[in-house]
Amino acid sequence: MPLNTVVCLKQIPNPDLQFSIAPSGKDIKRETLNYKTNGSDEYALEEAVRLKEKHGGRVVALTAGPKRADSMLREALAKGADEAVRVSYEDVGGYDAGKTARVLALAVKTVPHDLVLTGVQSDDLVNSATGSLLAGLLGLPHVSVVTKVEVQGTGIEVWSELEGGLSRRYALPLPAAVSIQFGANVPRYAPLPAIMKASRQTIKDISPATLGIPNWDAVATPYAFAIRKLSPPEAKGHATLITGSPEEQAKKLAQMLREKGFVRR
Amino acid sequence: MGKDILILAEHLEGKLAPSTLELVAKGRELAGQSGGAVKAALLGHNVGGLAQTLAGTGVEVLHADDAALAEYTEGGYGQAARALIEASAPRVVLVAHTAQGYDLAPGLAGALDLPLASNCMDVRLEGDKLVVVRRILNEKIQGEFELASEKPYMVTLRPGTTKPAEPAPGGKATPIPVAVDPSKIRAKFLGLERPQVSDIDIAAADVIVSAGRGIQKKENLPLVEELAKLLGGVVGASRPLTDLEWLPKTRQVGQSGKTVRPKLYVACGISGAMQHVAGMKDAGLIVAINTDPSAPIFEIAHVGIVGNVLQILPLVVKDLKG
Repeated sequence: MPLNTVVCLKQIPNPDLQFSIAPSGKDIKRETLNYKTNGSDEYALEEAVRLKEKHGGRVVALTAGPKRADSMLREALAKGADEAVRVSYEDVGGYDAGKTARVLALAVKTVPHDLVLTGVQSDDLVNSATGSLLAGLLGLPHVSVVTKVEVQGTGIEVWSELEGGLSRRYALPLPAAVSIQFGANVPRYAPLPAIMKASRQTIKDISPATLGIPNWDAVATPYAFAIRKLSPPEAKGHATLITGSPEEQAKKLAQMLREKGFVRR
Repeated sequence: MGKDILILAEHLEGKLAPSTLELVAKGRELAGQSGGAVKAALLGHNVGGLAQTLAGTGVEVLHADDAALAEYTEGGYGQAARALIEASAPRVVLVAHTAQGYDLAPGLAGALDLPLASNCMDVRLEGDKLVVVRRILNEKIQGEFELASEKPYMVTLRPGTTKPAEPAPGGKATPIPVAVDPSKIRAKFLGLERPQVSDIDIAAADVIVSAGRGIQKKENLPLVEELAKLLGGVVGASRPLTDLEWLPKTRQVGQSGKTVRPKLYVACGISGAMQHVAGMKDAGLIVAINTDPSAPIFEIAHVGIVGNVLQILPLVVKDLKG
């Protein structure tokens, strides 16, 4: 049974970076950031492409974000997506996840979909909410933290990971929404010819006009949202640091481990 | 608009999730701010005992018993929670930010068009406004955000951020009828599966030396193994390493892996993402080695070395052997 899958991707600042607060106190400094595809979204894309390879259908990679996100969409095309769509909703920080989800929901409605995949969380804002929020907004049945998807008849079967390594198995009719967990598969690398081809492909743009609304403000949320402030986290505590050259650090640590009786004789 | 705080309890295989008691504690704080009461919804089948246990924390437990609620499904739990929210119009609905919680709460917020704040470290009411504190960007930035709405706020609270509620008098379990239509449960539960265990149980070890992405290559694992051996311990790992299959899943420490409380935990090249920290923060002595001085692991570690684990470990091993 061929599947039309929409994969929602997010381009995020590389979370391994150091961050500092912008003078406004309402965003991080962005001048020197580099961006990458969100970790679990890579697994969601791979899952979508594998389902297509096995069962046929189409994969549409969709994001909401500024022009720079096109590079992520081209990468998705090179890895097997058939079409790329960028919703030109440019909320730089994207702190209001509810608003972004409502924009995404409108966009997803314009694309034929049997399955809507997201990553389980974005590594920058860690809401772990967009997948099931989208599902709720679209009225789709949903399962989160999924490590395996199998097509069964006219629906799918999924394995949803719980704390402690347990899994719940569910059967879902289509259309449905599923958030994909880290490690669900092994994402592929894009072959060079595919990268070349993707660089020439058109990225479809969804603007408010496409959706028949005057502007993004017309996408209503049931609340008013405000960023009060961003700050370096209040450290609950801090490790006593062992300083010195690596040799000195190692020596002091070894000595401490001995003194505390952790070293086996 | 009501003033009560409704918490959605979580349970699995006849046990309350520890996070539920944290919700009770946070719910009390919020109820103090809203001027209402805390009520805990316990959804399930044949879990009357749990309703009594939960009532032991001094809250009123709204106990909905239905065969269709025997196992968690977003459809079944969603219908029951929806009925409760619509009937009582709570000020805040508080849910744990667990795999089940962040499936259920955002789904409901979407379906009922409610304001949502998820994965919160802290939450409070200031008049009609909800103020939440969240940790973002690999725990390196803290953000305070404000939502203002007439509708019930849906909030998921990160487990381990609030002290659990102690037993208190005044609680009671009230059975409440809920109409769950099984035909409207679209995601159908098929079964609970446990991992195949054919490895040591790291949770039983006194000493764990864990490897994270900082070890860079699978070929560097023997360094970690050697230190573990010298300390009479076992090797653990952060999630990225078990995802890469450098170590089996059974070695994973964290929310989706094992929760451990060894006497000594050595974190080698582990940044300390929430999902990892949740599984090891209660270890007796935590030693962290990481190149990034802003890594959140140094916040919970007792002893830290800012340095390259690939350089430090061989030196430590050499010293211990010498």
